[in-house]
Amino acid sequence: MSVKYIPVQWNRSKWFYDAVMLAGVLLFLAIFLFAAPGLVGHERPISAQIHNARAFGACAFVMLSIILCIGPLARLDDRFLPMLYNRRHFGVMTVFVALTHVSFILNWYFTFSPNPSEIENLLRANTSYSQIGGFPFETFGIIALICLLILAATSHDFWLKFLTPPVWKRLHYLAYLAYAALVGHVVLGILQDQRNHALTVLFLGLAFLVVALHLVVWLRERAEADAKGGAWTHVSSTKDLREGFAKIALLPTGDRVAIFLHEGKVSAISNACAHQNGPLGEGRIVDCLVTCPWHGFQYDVRTGRSPAPFTERIPTYNLRLRGDLIEVHTDPNPPGTPVDPLTLPEGAA
Amino acid sequence: MNDRPFFVGYLPIPGPLRLFLGAIAILLIAGFGAAGYVAGVTQDDPGSGAFRFDYGRQTVTGVVELVPYPIVHVVEGNDRIDPGDTFMMTAGGKSGVDIRAEPLSGQLAQVSGIVLERGDLYMIQLRGGTNGLQAADGAFPQPESEPLGRWRLAGEICDGKCLAGAMRPGRGLAHKACANLCLLGDVPPIFVSTQPVIGDEFLLVTGPDATRLPKRAYDFVGQYVQVEGEITRHGSLLVFALDPETLELTP
Repeated sequence: MSVKYIPVQWNRSKWFYDAVMLAGVLLFLAIFLFAAPGLVGHERPISAQIHNARAFGACAFVMLSIILCIGPLARLDDRFLPMLYNRRHFGVMTVFVALTHVSFILNWYFTFSPNPSEIENLLRANTSYSQIGGFPFETFGIIALICLLILAATSHDFWLKFLTPPVWKRLHYLAYLAYAALVGHVVLGILQDQRNHALTVLFLGLAFLVVALHLVVWLRERAEADAKGGAWTHVSSTKDLREGFAKIALLPTGDRVAIFLHEGKVSAISNACAHQNGPLGEGRIVDCLVTCPWHGFQYDVRTGRSPAPFTERIPTYNLRLRGDLIEVHTDPNPPGTPVDPLTLPEGAA
Repeated sequence: MNDRPFFVGYLPIPGPLRLFLGAIAILLIAGFGAAGYVAGVTQDDPGSGAFRFDYGRQTVTGVVELVPYPIVHVVEGNDRIDPGDTFMMTAGGKSGVDIRAEPLSGQLAQVSGIVLERGDLYMIQLRGGTNGLQAADGAFPQPESEPLGRWRLAGEICDGKCLAGAMRPGRGLAHKACANLCLLGDVPPIFVSTQPVIGDEFLLVTGPDATRLPKRAYDFVGQYVQVEGEITRHGSLLVFALDPETLELTP
């Protein structure tokens, strides 16, 4: 089923998701804050405020790395799709952890000054922008924080409706800018001082994992797209389709189309759910309706429309059969346009 | 397109997927714990610097000299601070004591406050107002200085207060902005030499001809640099008047 805007919808899966993530974050912080000081053997402890700032900063970095790994992991193996289900909550949690880091930094490094404005002190203390060594790496942290705050502030479904899913989705690509800035913040900051390189391996290893996963998915999908061309493009063999499931194809236009086999007939709809651009083709047909794997929004595969009383609509595509090959027209129909399903010859599927 | 169980958030999780997700949940929580351990235990030792509240308040009498940062040549010491010692001073927070010290330049003064100590380096954070620094009566010798020639040193420019223990760690690039802020507030800057200079690792650093640390040097704070300058001994303290034109990063 699909819904219109409702402030908060909770269910057991969401509670479980948030509980697991929260447990992970609390374990990270507990070990860093309370166990590590007793294990390092320093002559005198690191200043408490600095220790706290490092704990929350490192945790935010790990959290954002995990968030950005979920998308490509789900594309490579659909069993990871449930991790996308409540990713927004995890994102908001990340912002609170990052804000705690910022709070410790501002209230330690940039306070106690004759100038009482911590923000002003932050901006004026180091202005060596023309050099790499000693570059004000705090600037990258500010960029990352602004991006994360925008993401958190617009994470609610209200903004999804207000901005429309395509705009909302593009806005939320800011997560990548935030991560790039965060990597710059860490590389030009703490990693410049650290003599123990285990921390370098941890941070850069996570960053490498994020980049590598995205690269693998991108290369795989480009290879599929390069094999196609023209207004009508081959997307599948009839033998590749299975009842109740979809095959996803990347069109030369860059759009993804989901070709479903339902009751022996083939229909094509946009792969992007109207709710949050979730991958409909990675869902399946439940109760005669295509069901999004992210949040369970549903559509009639023949019309691209949610069942009444819901009003979501997605584009449909025209199909034709060439031998046992199914071809799709690369131009989408307006959202909610009914298209007669393609009837397959007997024994084709 | 496969036979794997399908997850719909508002429906019960299918059995086989439940097992997979349970394993992922455990791995995630364990991964967070492992990451917290690695990040926590690999932090470098911040050094021995600290406020020495355990020493209690220290009160001594000495001659104030501006180089241009104010220093004190101890005339009448106590159990911890010997006559003949020379030390730097700072106020609370990221502030120096220049305004309080300037009227007392070349005069005998009573100095009172808390010691910050890191190895051979120490300074005193003064109490507020005249309780921390006030004119004193008595005879005193004029401080002498001994020029030690031009040197080329390798090391790091830091703010003296954080380095001495106000923050741990109180040096390095991650601390650069804080150090700059301290220096802008007139906290005395320190040059930490990679090799001892006539037995001293820490030198009070100034600009040429007893001027303040030049703005150009702020770009190099917290980094390993090489720089030339004149060293002068003021009491037991070495003062390094760097030549900003010779500042360069150590490769």
